Amino acid sequence: MIDSTNTAQSSALAPLTYAWLGLVLLTLFGLGVGQWFRGVGWQPLLVAAIVWVKSWLVCRYFIESHLAHPFITKVMRAFILFAPIALILTAFFGSQFARWATL
Amino acid sequence: MPAHELIPEAPVTRRFPGNKGIWVGITCELIEFLVLFIVYFVSRAHFPDAFEAGAERLSRVSGTVITLLMVTSSFFIACSVAAIRTGQRRRSIYWLVAGLVVSLGYPVAKIMEINWNLAHGINGESGIFFTVYYYLTFNHFVHATWGILGILWVLARHLVGGYTAEDHSGLEALASYWHATDIIWLIIFSFFYVLA
Repeated sequence: MIDSTNTAQSSALAPLTYAWLGLVLLTLFGLGVGQWFRGVGWQPLLVAAIVWVKSWLVCRYFIESHLAHPFITKVMRAFILFAPIALILTAFFGSQFARWATL
Repeated sequence: MPAHELIPEAPVTRRFPGNKGIWVGITCELIEFLVLFIVYFVSRAHFPDAFEAGAERLSRVSGTVITLLMVTSSFFIACSVAAIRTGQRRRSIYWLVAGLVVSLGYPVAKIMEINWNLAHGINGESGIFFTVYYYLTFNHFVHATWGILGILWVLARHLVGGYTAEDHSGLEALASYWHATDIIWLIIFSFFYVLA
């Protein structure tokens, strides 16, 4: 049986509000990055970083994965890392990846 | 041997937000989308030009509206959980209703986006980019629909006093599912609407 009495779950709204504001601002900033830096080599790096930060905000403040069972912490950490890493690898090593993935 | 080494460490007692059942479901959902993401990356690696050109033809407004609806409904539902933790049942219900209302904007925005796409000649046969786009976004829409039905069910239970400060695992389970679905959308948004 999992004991839930010694966790520090938050009931404060301020951290949730800050996280939501961060998500909104990063969404708008991400759109700008997509437009302003079109064709720039490091654009995928910035987009990947924004995706990871937004996903982390949801994990950390909404799901509270850092207070959850270690399985959940690890699953969420791996999931939110996968797409940014794959984005970067596809952007910089796309042709090699395509060769490996050809049947 | 120092005394502190003789005292066994307290076991890790971190919890499952909601219940174990919902986390089985969420893990399956994440694995399903991991497979879909691999489809996206393999396609993008093979057809980089189609993916760069395709994003230009989609409605960024629709993608942005859906993103704002997802993060805002997620925020409201997180507030609902925070309120019930302090025993503020009525406030928790208000937050949950707000989350439901905002989440209902998703199907509306999606229908408008599909109509916009069709009016601009974009369908599932418009090329590899759009095939993958429909594949991922429709799948996400199906998962979001389950989430909206879940919100309705949890709201009905909440209205009849089903949750208290001591026991609100059902509300927390719904919140966990919705937040996971939110994260998946944030990733999909960058795939199709941001990277051009």
